[in-house]
Amino acid sequence: MDFFGNLLQGFGVALSPSHLFFAFAGAMIGTAIGVLPGLGTPTTIALLLPVTYKMEPTSAVIMLAGIFYGAMYGGSTTSILLNIPGEAASVVTCLDGYRMARIGRAGPALGISALGSFIAGSIAVLGMSVVAPTLAQFALKFGPAEYSALILLGLMMAVYLSEGSVLKGLLMLTLGIALGTIGIDPVLGVPRFTFGIPRLMDGLDYIAAGMGLLGIGEVLVNLETPEVRSVYRTSLRGVLPTVEDWRRCWGPILRGSVIGFFIGVLPGGGATISSFVAYAAEKRISRHPENFGKGVIEGVAAPEAANNAGSTSSFIPLLTLGIPGNASTAMIYVALMIHGIQPGPLLMQEHPHLFWGVIASMYVGNAMLLTLNLPLIGFWVRLLKVPYSFLAVFIVTICIVGAYSLKNAAFDVGVMMVFGVLGYFFRKGGFPAAPMILSMILGPMLERSLQQALKMSAGDLWIFAEKPISAALLLITAIVMLIPVPKWLWKRYRSRPRAERPQDEGGME
Amino acid sequence: MRNWGDLIGSLLFALAGIGIVAESLRLKVGKLTDPQPGFFPFVSGVVLIVLSLVLLAYRWSNPPNEVRSPGNFRGPAILIVGMAVYVGILDSAGYILSTVFIGTLILRVLGIRSWRVLGGVGIGLSVGTYLLFSRLLGIELPPGILTFLG
Repeated sequence: MDFFGNLLQGFGVALSPSHLFFAFAGAMIGTAIGVLPGLGTPTTIALLLPVTYKMEPTSAVIMLAGIFYGAMYGGSTTSILLNIPGEAASVVTCLDGYRMARIGRAGPALGISALGSFIAGSIAVLGMSVVAPTLAQFALKFGPAEYSALILLGLMMAVYLSEGSVLKGLLMLTLGIALGTIGIDPVLGVPRFTFGIPRLMDGLDYIAAGMGLLGIGEVLVNLETPEVRSVYRTSLRGVLPTVEDWRRCWGPILRGSVIGFFIGVLPGGGATISSFVAYAAEKRISRHPENFGKGVIEGVAAPEAANNAGSTSSFIPLLTLGIPGNASTAMIYVALMIHGIQPGPLLMQEHPHLFWGVIASMYVGNAMLLTLNLPLIGFWVRLLKVPYSFLAVFIVTICIVGAYSLKNAAFDVGVMMVFGVLGYFFRKGGFPAAPMILSMILGPMLERSLQQALKMSAGDLWIFAEKPISAALLLITAIVMLIPVPKWLWKRYRSRPRAERPQDEGGME
Repeated sequence: MRNWGDLIGSLLFALAGIGIVAESLRLKVGKLTDPQPGFFPFVSGVVLIVLSLVLLAYRWSNPPNEVRSPGNFRGPAILIVGMAVYVGILDSAGYILSTVFIGTLILRVLGIRSWRVLGGVGIGLSVGTYLLFSRLLGIELPPGILTFLG
């Protein structure tokens, strides 16, 4: 079946009443959690996994995907009206969005953010429809050596593109890989790190661990200083941008869409880094870069377009290679596995309904978000008045239900809570959780692929270099790993004549 | 100014790495041509130790200009103890009663003083989520002493 035939089949799936409902539910939940600071996208997807157990797999993924891209729409609302990003991907929107609100232009800021997100989301879905089948076809050539190299690259990119210190990210990544080895050894069937606890034979449940690290960890941090929120009172009239606004924004929206799409496809890429790069690029090419940060509409349009395109295109490595690139797609990966579906190059052939249905649902979901979000901005603003105390109780309760429902055992609730405490201390120390979650999921895959590759080559590591795809991927991984070195050396060199000064934080990190 | 959080953190990571290496050696590491169950964890343990020592050395020789304040541990500490109690009583007391306990505790830590609000939200949320997940979505939750619910 050709491309249009496949897409038509996808629309047949996405436009069925039940899938329309789940796309709507996902988009609305996503917008709500994007609006509410303190409840991230991966956490919400993890929390809602139990709800999907009894759903049909396509419905489950349509809803979870809706949460992911819906959150990108919602995240901008708090950035513009409160100067508090609801999502990490909306941090950069605060710079000009909040400034626009302060000068009475909150309406156009919210409007261009929604319209830009819609345009970018649509461009990204179109790109995804074209790129994903080609990439899946290409990935069919992958053997264990190529997969090992690809997973390694994905993990490294996740560290280098995540927020905070690279060194700390690497530590978290390695710890996650080690934690992923808990349970029965996949090749020889020997229990590892189980310490006589039968429940650990199947390994640590990474859904419970993820909910703890992200959900409970966040609540514990917020318990330290109960936050006070105040919505900036401003006119929300005129959310439709003017002709002049459009004239200034069409370029940033298109450039943001392209930047977001390509960064989202990278393993470890996604919405957050896309928005930063798009903003920086826009500022660089602007004739008046000095105005950025003072309330220019381009500073809202570009990052909002980029984060939507990035979140959509980050589904490409998940669906075609079976490699989740960020914590949110990792949770969707888990959802697919729960339903007995292996994401990867064969997904398109074995489950075309799901593959094309999810892609088509993104077109539909983006249109829904646009038509619903602009009229509902007042409602989302009111949602911000929900006290955090109620939200915290709700998050903890849902985490408990989610963890318990994994195996109907209090043990997993305990695992979640232990990881919650760890997540709290990690967050306090600036250790990013996302690389650890990813490596807990990808670590066992990496071990299996490595062992298979080494068996094939009788222990000869040359197998990774003699296969062109694996060699190229390993070369890129090495380049990624070495990126911080020149920066670190340059900093050391520059700091020499002023040795008496305290050194900057960061450096090699 | 020393960032004791990073220094202690790197030491803890190094300790975890040593533990992983020790257990991997007990499991048998093998070699590249014949990797044993301890091979992969052994490699990750060694990498963990090396990275922890790099962080330790880097932070020791490059103290940051500013160190974040440790924050107020009271609220998190209370909830951590509460969560330990929760896990202990979940099966015996059941989902509803345990969740009323943890919900009330969180609200209290976050400064809610009115017993009416504490009770209302705690009971409302635990009963509401029980009905939603257990009755509507078919997720099994422990009834505990409220066995008539099971």
